Amino acid sequence: MTAQVSIIYFGQSAELTGLKEEEPVSVPTPISSRELWELLQQRHPRLAALRGHVVLAVSQQYVPVAEQLVVLRDGDEVAVVPPLSGG
Amino acid sequence: MSQQEDVCRLSRDPLSLQEVVDAVSSSSCGAISVFLGTTREDEVGGRRVLGLHYEAYESMVQSEFRKLCADLRGRWPGVKHICVHHRLGVGEASVAMAISSPHRHDGQQAIQHCISQLKARMPIWKKEVYHTQEESWKENSECPWSTSARLLTEKLHAEKTRACVDEAAGGGAS
Repeated sequence: MTAQVSIIYFGQSAELTGLKEEEPVSVPTPISSRELWELLQQRHPRLAALRGHVVLAVSQQYVPVAEQLVVLRDGDEVAVVPPLSGG
Repeated sequence: MSQQEDVCRLSRDPLSLQEVVDAVSSSSCGAISVFLGTTREDEVGGRRVLGLHYEAYESMVQSEFRKLCADLRGRWPGVKHICVHHRLGVGEASVAMAISSPHRHDGQQAIQHCISQLKARMPIWKKEVYHTQEESWKENSECPWSTSARLLTEKLHAEKTRACVDEAAGGGAS
């Protein structure tokens, strides 16, 4: 199965991709967060600079890049989240 | 006025400590605990910070704030109102927060936890722009996926592995 999701980029990830948002992006589902990250790196190889220092947010829930399975639905929002610097 | 009110506001305007204090005032509270995060002049490597650029995942800031408030109340049930204002522009203060409580102990503990958790979990990013025209995205060490946090995790893991290996080697010599 596939889902049409939107991907939003923050901080350094937006600079590396040159994008703040892209949609719709067709993504297999369910998918592990690691595979999802690999998919994004394939689309934007420069994202590799964040490898090891990035997590994703799926429907506003943090998801570490790991074997965790994520179920995506049409219209879901996936964010690329570099290290935080609020406060 | 027994309703608990929690407010998190992202603003491009200068922050006002009085505003966050007023937002949490309550006749049932004898204490208002505050924290004001100011912008430190960064002279590391001889570079002066000329400006700051902020980004925020605004909808997720609100959902994370709701989780943070639930966390604070779970730990300190006496907490009454919580107010956080975060700046998204250049200025003296980056964050102003206030928590009211009947007695000061809960509020003081809660405000410390609030700023720590904000630094660890709020989807807000800050980039420093230096007089050399270089730019650098800052990373909170509290954030589990920051470079420094990851290096520390790896270091601790390596030490633990060495300790296990040493123990196994010592145990096998009987």
